[in-house]
Amino acid sequence: MTTTLAPRRRPARQGGPAEGRPASRGGSSVGRPGFVWALPASIFFALFALVPLLAVAALSFTSWSGLGDPKFVGLKNWEALFEDPVMLQSLWLSLLFIVLGIVTQTPLSILLGVWAAGNQRNRAILSAIYFVPLLLSSAAISVLWRALLDPNFGIPGQMSWLFGDGNVLGTQTGAIAVLIFVGMWQFTPFHTLIYQGAARQIPPVLYQAASIDGAGTVRQFFSITLPQLKNSIITSVILMVVGGLTTFETVLILTNGGPGTGTTITAFHMYQEAFRRFDFGTGSAIALVLVVISTAISFAVVRLSGYDKMRSSLEGL
Amino acid sequence: MNKHGWVARSLAGGAALALGLTMAGCSGGNGAASRPENEIHIAMYGDAGNTVEQKIIDTFNATSEVKVVLDKIPGAEYQSKLQTIIDTPTAPDIFFNWGGGSIKNFVDADLLLPLDDFIKEDPQLKDAFLPSVFETAVIDDKAYGIPMRGTQPVMLFNNSKVLADAGIANPPATWDELLEDVKILKDKGITPIALGGADRWPTLMWVEYVYDRVAGEGLFQKALEGDTSVWESEESRKALGMLRDLIDAGAFGTNFDSVKFTDGGSPALLASGKAGFELMGSWEYSTQQSSDPAFAAEVLGYSEFPKIEGGLGDEDNLVGNTNNFYSVHKNTRYPEAVRDFLKLMYSDQFVQEQVGIGNLPTTNNTEKFLDKAADPEYAKYQFNLVKEAPSFQLSWDQAYPPEATVTIHTAVAQFFSGQIDEDGFIKAMQSL
Repeated sequence: MTTTLAPRRRPARQGGPAEGRPASRGGSSVGRPGFVWALPASIFFALFALVPLLAVAALSFTSWSGLGDPKFVGLKNWEALFEDPVMLQSLWLSLLFIVLGIVTQTPLSILLGVWAAGNQRNRAILSAIYFVPLLLSSAAISVLWRALLDPNFGIPGQMSWLFGDGNVLGTQTGAIAVLIFVGMWQFTPFHTLIYQGAARQIPPVLYQAASIDGAGTVRQFFSITLPQLKNSIITSVILMVVGGLTTFETVLILTNGGPGTGTTITAFHMYQEAFRRFDFGTGSAIALVLVVISTAISFAVVRLSGYDKMRSSLEGL
Repeated sequence: MNKHGWVARSLAGGAALALGLTMAGCSGGNGAASRPENEIHIAMYGDAGNTVEQKIIDTFNATSEVKVVLDKIPGAEYQSKLQTIIDTPTAPDIFFNWGGGSIKNFVDADLLLPLDDFIKEDPQLKDAFLPSVFETAVIDDKAYGIPMRGTQPVMLFNNSKVLADAGIANPPATWDELLEDVKILKDKGITPIALGGADRWPTLMWVEYVYDRVAGEGLFQKALEGDTSVWESEESRKALGMLRDLIDAGAFGTNFDSVKFTDGGSPALLASGKAGFELMGSWEYSTQQSSDPAFAAEVLGYSEFPKIEGGLGDEDNLVGNTNNFYSVHKNTRYPEAVRDFLKLMYSDQFVQEQVGIGNLPTTNNTEKFLDKAADPEYAKYQFNLVKEAPSFQLSWDQAYPPEATVTIHTAVAQFFSGQIDEDGFIKAMQSL
């Protein structure tokens, strides 16, 4: 709320009733960023997030195949959605994907991140190598793993003691395991990066004090590192939840939602309804369900963890 | 004016602008004027056969002021992409399709140009093609497609070397022989039949043929016309039972749900001798030819789908793609150039090039080029199959409009992997 940071070209707009008020609420002479700062981002958000969201909301009450004009059908799509067994199953599958993703990726990326924050020999080189999967596109990764997992000409053909007849993608359990594994391979580097940055921020004095008190490496990790990483863990978990809900390319290319509907998670179900069955109304309804669920989950995580209070983990230092 | 008023106004203005842009995107510029100048765009199913399409285009572009541009779309997502763009300003002028159900929705939405005026100006655009093929793209008595590429019957391909090593002298002529061959190959540790089950449409080919042989072509025609009771008929259950026997006999191995045709998995099984047979469209030949020409020419064998004793369907009936077509968007900016381009579809060069990669055009002049085919024997065999087939059923997933595809594909995949039984399959087909 400031006049000092507003563009100079429009002094007239800054005058009028606002005149005479203190420059900022605290009365401090240092101004806080005004709304103008948020304008570019807000316009982008409105254009590319809010407007499509409203359009999707409107479409969910219509019947539209992409040809001609949408026809208003009231609540028909929504009623059908609640009776669709694939929809219900897809929600459970999405939840499973999120939980398994968090369970597999979080411990690994915390350990790697904390390790990468140190200054051991070869650390920079190894970190760079671990980082590579993040640089590849999801489509490339999926095609790569699809080829590697070919039952006759890929890894399973050579390792029958582990893969049996190689029908890895042909069973629901196998297909889910592959998707979780590929997700882990792809996204662990990203979360490692978050934890590496966070671990670097932990003041060394804490470790020095702990070692004087006789705490070993393991004790230091659990009593200092983990509590200090709390906010980063929350950030990372929220990203995993949202990422898990919107996982799509790997499912499309690796399993095509199969076997049967065995890996048809909600985001894939949405695509299938909209772009394969050309029922954009139902697809839009599923999209809205996804928006509501991901907002609710993120909100709950933020509330339950106390993240919204923005309490610093460095208080008292 | 206070600050909050200004903020609110900016927001409102931004929202209005955004909405305006969206509306413009939805409704504006569908007319010919917004299309690129001196260009005709073709939306094309992307695969190994595109080299020939490009050659024909090069021939056309050499003399034409309006240039044709080939936009290749990866095959698996072709239909999705097409329906998403066809009612927008970026719609193609000409697009590849399978006739029948694949263009019905576009005709109903009044997006296609009836080609009857073109045909009046140049009767060859109709008369140069086999009438039965041309009819596939006639809807409500108007012609909407000119045949291109070729007819693509589904045949039972084999690795003749594998069969010889296993002591199988001839490809199976009957269902019982097929079951015997399956047992022989299985006992030798070879997957009897390669199946790209992860793509789902190769699985559908087995269902289509067994249904056609057991129940005749009428069953599916009735179902397509809306009589879903036929799926519960005795013949329908018999066909499903025979398929179940074949699967349970281990004909497809156990990991077919992880194998794809589209990434080269199942053709490689056949070419490497890890499998004995593969049921596939005639494009199996060009697929094998592009990865291993020697295998395609010397080892790749082919035969008709086996006869089923006591079945109602004719043993010479075919299923597959009756033909591919080029259809024209009504908003094309250069209809005359489009017409001239379409005339190339019955030209000698076109037929010769298509025959050269193993495709089989259905024009009057095809027969005289069969000797120049990559494999004349294969070309003649196929040509005679099509000529003599009492019925040629368009693939089920092309005969129905595209929105049915997911249901059909999921049902056949689940039936083959045992996730649903006969009743489950019947129920799924009746939901269409």
